[in-house]
Formats: sequence, C-alpha cells, structure tokens
Amino acid sequence: MGSEGRHWPLPEDAPAFADLSRCVHCGLCVTACPTYVVTGREAESPRGRLYLARAVSEGRIGLTEAVEAHWDLCLQCRACEAVCPSGVPYGRIMEHVRAQVAAAPAKGRFARRLRRLVLRNLVARPGVLAAAVAPVRWFAGSRTRRLAVKAGLLRLPSMVGRLEKQLPHAPGRPLRAGDALPEVEAASSRAVLFTGCVMGELFGNVHRATARVLARAGIQALAAPGQVCCGALSAHDGDLAFARGLARRNIEALELVGEDPIIVDAAGCGAALKEYEQLLAGDREYAVRARAFAARVRDASEFVAELPMKVPARLGARVTYQDPCHLAHAQRIREAPRRLLAGIDGCTLVETVASDLCCGAAGTYGLLQPAMSAALRARKAAAFHRVRPDAVATANPGCQMQYEAAVREAGLSARVVHVMELLDEAQARAGG
Amino acid sequence: MTTRRALVDRLASVVGPSNVVHRREDLLVYEFDGTIEQSLPDAVVFPGSTEEVAAVVRACNSLGVAVTPRGAGTGLSGGAVPAQRGVVVATGRMRRILEIDPLERLAVAEPGVPNIQLSEAAAEHGLFYAPDPSSQKACTIGGNVAENAGGPHCLALGVTTNHVLGLEIVTADGEVVTLGGRTCETSGYDLRGVFIGSEGTLGIATRIVVRLLPVPAAVVTLLGVFDSVERASATVSAIIAGGMVPAALEMIDRLCLQAAEAGLQCGYPADAGAVLLVELDGVDEVVGPQAALATAACLAHGAREVRTARDPAERELLWKGRKGAIGSLGRLAPNYYILDGVVPRSRLVEVMARVSEVAKEYGLLVANVFHAGDGNLHPLLLFDDREPGARARVLEAGAHIMRACVEAGGALSGEHGIGFEKRAFMPWLYGEADLENMERLRGVFGNGGRFNPCKLLPTGTGCGEMGHNQAAMRAAGPEAYV
Repeated sequence: MGSEGRHWPLPEDAPAFADLSRCVHCGLCVTACPTYVVTGREAESPRGRLYLARAVSEGRIGLTEAVEAHWDLCLQCRACEAVCPSGVPYGRIMEHVRAQVAAAPAKGRFARRLRRLVLRNLVARPGVLAAAVAPVRWFAGSRTRRLAVKAGLLRLPSMVGRLEKQLPHAPGRPLRAGDALPEVEAASSRAVLFTGCVMGELFGNVHRATARVLARAGIQALAAPGQVCCGALSAHDGDLAFARGLARRNIEALELVGEDPIIVDAAGCGAALKEYEQLLAGDREYAVRARAFAARVRDASEFVAELPMKVPARLGARVTYQDPCHLAHAQRIREAPRRLLAGIDGCTLVETVASDLCCGAAGTYGLLQPAMSAALRARKAAAFHRVRPDAVATANPGCQMQYEAAVREAGLSARVVHVMELLDEAQARAGG
Repeated sequence: MTTRRALVDRLASVVGPSNVVHRREDLLVYEFDGTIEQSLPDAVVFPGSTEEVAAVVRACNSLGVAVTPRGAGTGLSGGAVPAQRGVVVATGRMRRILEIDPLERLAVAEPGVPNIQLSEAAAEHGLFYAPDPSSQKACTIGGNVAENAGGPHCLALGVTTNHVLGLEIVTADGEVVTLGGRTCETSGYDLRGVFIGSEGTLGIATRIVVRLLPVPAAVVTLLGVFDSVERASATVSAIIAGGMVPAALEMIDRLCLQAAEAGLQCGYPADAGAVLLVELDGVDEVVGPQAALATAACLAHGAREVRTARDPAERELLWKGRKGAIGSLGRLAPNYYILDGVVPRSRLVEVMARVSEVAKEYGLLVANVFHAGDGNLHPLLLFDDREPGARARVLEAGAHIMRACVEAGGALSGEHGIGFEKRAFMPWLYGEADLENMERLRGVFGNGGRFNPCKLLPTGTGCGEMGHNQAAMRAAGPEAYV
C-alpha cells in the first residue's frame, strides 16, 4: 500500500496496484460488458474503466466528473471478470473505486449521500425496512394497483411508475430472520436460510418455496435469528466500512447455529457472503472466521442440484432461464439452475440470446441510471418476445423485478418466478 | 495548425456533438490498444454511416489533421494507436450485420461488428466465418480487414484476405469506393487484396462482404502433452510432412500454459513443457483416421499423453485456454511485449532456441503461444513498465528476435501487422525501390501521409510519444537494425 493510495481521497481503501496492473488491456472483456454492448464506447467498458482508475492512481488525471460518470455507469455485474484471462478482480476494484468517489465526489453529492443514508438506515435496519416496505407489499398485490394501472394513472415516466412495473404481483407474507418455518418430520439435517433485507420483505414466498424444496429432501430450513442485510448494496456503493460491520454481524449470528450450510436464494447476497473473507481481509480475526463462514455458503440451486435424493417434479411449461449476474459471473454457477429446470417432467427449457447479459436491475442501479437500465431491459423484452415463454425463471430479487417489467414491455403474460418457486410448484404437483 | 476547439466543432457539425469526445479523461481510453504503444488523440469521433465517415475524413483532411481508424482496440501492432495524435475514427456505432445470404454463403457487415457475431448469426444456416483471431469475441471485422487477421483455424482455411469478397471503403481522400464484389473472382487488379492488410493506411472499410463456410460435420480436438517445446515442434513438422493439413495446430509453452490454466481452468497439465492443440475437421471417414495419425505422430515424438476432447464443452474449454493464453500472462507480470514473426516450419526448433537465448541475454522471461502449423511465432517478453529501462531492454530483445526470424527466411508479421515499431525492420526484407513503390501505392489512395501515419512503412516522422519506442529498437545496434 503506502504510496499507492496517495492520489486517492481515501487511501486506506484505494484500489491496489497489484489488482489494477493485472489488466494488460487485451480487450477480451469489452463485449461481455453490457454498457459497452449498448454504447460501443470504450470509456463504458471494463478495460476503459480500469485504465481510468489506473490513470487516477498514477496521478495522470484527477477524480473528475467525467471519470466518475464512466464509473457510475458500471452495473458491477462482473461479466468482465468471468471472461478475463488475467484474473483481474474487477468487482473488488470497482468497490474500492466507488469508495473513493463517495469520499470526495466531484458531483452528485446530495444524491450519493441520500443513497448512503438509505442503505445504512433503511435497508440495513430490519425494523425500519419492514415498516417502509409494508405499504409497498400491500400495494403490489392490491386491487388499487390493478385499477391504477388500468386507469393509466402510473403511465407518467416517474420513478413511481417505473417502480410499479417492477413489483411482484403476489409478494406474499414477509419472511424475516427469526421467523419460524414449518417443522420437517424426521429431518435428516438442517440448513440455515439466509433471509436478507428486501428479499425477506418482498419475496417471502421465494424463501418459503426454498424451505419446502429443502423439506422434501429431508432438510429442516431455519431462518436463524440475528442475521441482517448481507452488505452487498453498501459494498457496491463503496461503503466498505459499513458493509464490513454487517458482515461481522452475520458471521456472529450464523456461527451461533453451528456449522450447517447457509442456503441463499438471492444471487447477489450469495456472492457477497462467499466473498466475506476478501471484504474482511484487513481484519485478522474476522478474516479467518469469514473463511469458515464462506465455506458454508451455497446458492440454493447449487445446493439442491447436488442433493442425492431426487424428488419427482412435474410442470408443463416453456420456461426460459435468465442468469443473475452474481450467480453466473460472480459465483460461476450456470448449470445447476438449468439442470433443475430441465429435470422437471414436462418442462421445456428454452434459451434466449444473451441470457447472461445483465438485465439492468443491478441493485439500486435502475433508480440511478434509468436510461441504461431501460436499454438493457428492452433487450430482455425483445428476447422474450422472440421465444415467448410461459415463465421466466431467475434467482435474484432485483432481476425478478426487472423481468416483471420486461415481460410486460414485451406484451407477454408470462409469469416471472424464482427457480425455487417453480421447482416447489412442480414437486407439489407431482405429489411431493 | 488548427485549434482543438475548431476541430471538435467541425467534427460535431458532421456527426453531432454527442458523437465526438474530446475531454482528456474520455480520450485516455483511446490512447492504447493490446500492445504497449501509447499516444493520446485530440478527438475521437463515432460516425454512424459511410457518408459520415467520408465527411469526417474530408473534414480532417481540410484541417490537415491525422486520422487513425479504430475498431475494438484489441490489435497487437499499435495499428489503432494515433501516433501523430489527431482524430481517431472509431467504428463503435457501425455494428450492424446487414445481410446473411445462406444461398450465396456470404454475409455483409459494417466494420464495427465483432468477428464472432458473424459466425453466431450464420449458425442457424449451418455456416460460419472462418478466420478466428484469439480476440474474436471482441475484435471487429473492420480491424480484421485492416490487419489481415489470422487465427488458429487459418492453417487450413487461410487468413482474412481469403474470406473477404468485397469492400466498400472510404479512401484516405474521403472518397467512397467499392473494391471486389460478391463473387470470388473479379476482373482487373485485385485492389481488394491491396486494401486488406493495409493497416488502416489507405482508408476505412465501411461495408464488408465475407464468405461463409459450412460448419464441418465432424471435429476432433486433441491435446498432445510434451516435456519440451523441441519435441512438440518436431511433432508439428512430422504431422504436416505426413500429408495432412489439420484445421489447427497450436503450441503453448510451459509458462503460458501455466498462466492459462491458473486463469481459465481449461484442463492443461500444468507440469508439461509444452502442449500441442491439434484439431481435425471434415467428414467422419476422414477425421477419424487423421486423428489416429496425429495421435501416433505425437506419441512417436515423445508425447507423454494425448487427450481427445470428449464433447463440445471439453473442446470449448481447450480452446478457451488457447485463446485466453496471452491475456492470462497478466498474472505473471504487469506488462508484456508480444512479437509476431513467421519462420519456415523446418526452422522452428532452431529459431525457438534463439528466442530463449535472446531472452536469457536480456534477463527477460519469455512465454510462447503460437500457430505452430504456420510457423507463426508469438514470443511474449514479460516485464514491468515501471522499472526504469525495462521497456528499452524489451524492445531491443524484440528486435533481435525479429532479426532471427528474417534470417531464417521468415517474415515480420504473420497476422498482427507491421504496425509501429516493426516498420523500422521493413528494409531487412525490401529494397529502397520496393519501399518507394509501396509508398507510391499508398499515395494512390490519397492522404499525404496523414492517414494512420507512422505505420507499416518506414517513412513518416514526428510520431510524438511513440518515438522513444522506435529509438529503443534502433539502439539494438547495426547488427539488428540494418
């Protein structure tokens, strides 16, 4: 470290030179990058963003508004990381870059502060989040929503209108840390279900479906108490100090329930939990605990696909699977969810083009970069229009919400589901 | 001299202000390509049509500003780096495939289309576009035309020039001209052939007609594992001498395969001295016996093991390692200098030995990954650009290696192009009269030396920031620099 960080406002969290210099600008990443695909511009490519970070690091340019704008447009989908032959840890670099921008932003101070305020005081506080999401959840499944949509009340290109399109239609009851899950008779083992923040509030149904799928395999799921938001949104925003705090709390909480596997049905959370060791690298005690913790973390599809016992599942439907970025690129899991879906009797798995290209949801990105987010959503809508699926399956709440909007944009009536929901339904139909 | 403001305003009047970039932060990402060359442009412009390209070129000419065409910036000879600053014309907005004609087996594309998209679009008709540079997922067809790009599968099928039927170009004078057509043969001088591989010095291709081939019915991919590069090289000669031309015949040495394996988990044995990737394609009746012959040749020359890819996924993985091998060297050092020399196959072993010798003399690590079947070497000299004097040492060593290739009866480029520094070596291969004639040919397309200046031909001065690289190569002395 030392002199490496001297051109950055927050030297202790400066991108490491060893990370930056891994990039030999071969350019193999550029066409994997959604923003390069849309714009055709190199400043909106991973290689370009890395080059700019290195230029700042070397003092060739300052942290200007123009540089920040290029970094801000990054979705942090990490598709570049998965195709990089040199192993550039792009996701880590970008989190450190965001930390710098947040420490001394050239522009958008207010918006950045507001975002951080929301992430720290709303998203990461279970009680506050529950209170804030409750009316949204009510609205999502309400008659009022249907009437408002019919009357064209939400057609204005407002943030409210955008959000409405993304809300799930039957969010179900929330499932939070500490909530009881149905007891599995003669369970052979136990697994911790990671409840998350928004996931638990808006996608309680997905959590319950995951628990039922596990139950049919003789595994008792446990929504262990004390767990909090995984910290991914804060880390992506560059609020590494806060993310580390959340990581420590999760490690402490889930160490208490023994060594059971930690099952995650939100790809973004799963990727973050698996990388706690990196996040806590500067904290000797917790880095060791983080390693043991991360070894327990499994994505729900990854875990279920490897279960020895196969439960019959039947569902006649054309299903397309869309890879969540943080499952395909960050966790490198592509086959497991497809295998589960293809294993359902009567289920036809149809592939679209670029199923692993980011949908544009990317956490808070959809709110901050509506134009790029919409451009990427439109690509998904066009892809859905071509294959006309009965259902769009994915494995992350943000993506799921974006696909709700994309399906509507494509003029289709396909439902949008989590892989676990579809699997649960198919198992139930087969009599499980 | 014209001010930057005037230049930007003029370009903006042609393509609209949003399609011109000029702030330093925005220009920085256009100062490099896949090599170690660097030179900052004054402006980058994104034309959206042939007409706009022509208007941009004419505007630059009237202002006396240099023009450098650029695709994805993955080139390996500095071709897209604006040596005399000026304007970079980037093809990022011209990315449409205009036509796929399965009956005529051809495709028509704009220059900014990534190479691989041609094959992806043709796949539904059972066709593909053959030249497959390692960077094919990113590199553009326009850039491929400029550099006459090759790739592993060019051994049997030929390089870009063998697969481009026709071109619409904007000449360095800003005129729109059509070269070739939609058929294999055209009458008169082969100007299409002249343009392909001209490294962006004659003009910009704005529409490209390429030939598509049927996807082979059967493919076998073998991985021969050897203890040394020498044994693998001897096998290459034996396979070719045996009478067959494999679809691809690639070698990866120890350093390179270790880096690739670490980065891409492609299934290469990390303790091997070298691996040969052999691909055979065609119909089952031919491919089977050929695979057996190739396997036998590997074993006869001391292969420790020969693996056969069992399914398309495994084949894909073996190729992923090969195609990502160069980039994976970023794991070993912050920088590399990649060479692209050609030698007669029979001199492979000897020149490879010379490469190691030069690297040792200069105290440099060298990694090798190359198209063994073509005798097309890619030694990669690893270094750290922050270390004082390292770059100069690498460039000098590079000059000696290129000299060795030429002395063995080879050429200065197999597929990356001559580009910037190697143009200084052109006199090794060509006399003064030859070079003058090439210069005259360049003049036919216009420009006055301002179109991708300081590339390909050893004339042209004032190459700014890049000049020091050339000086370093000259320092390799009269023995290397004749």
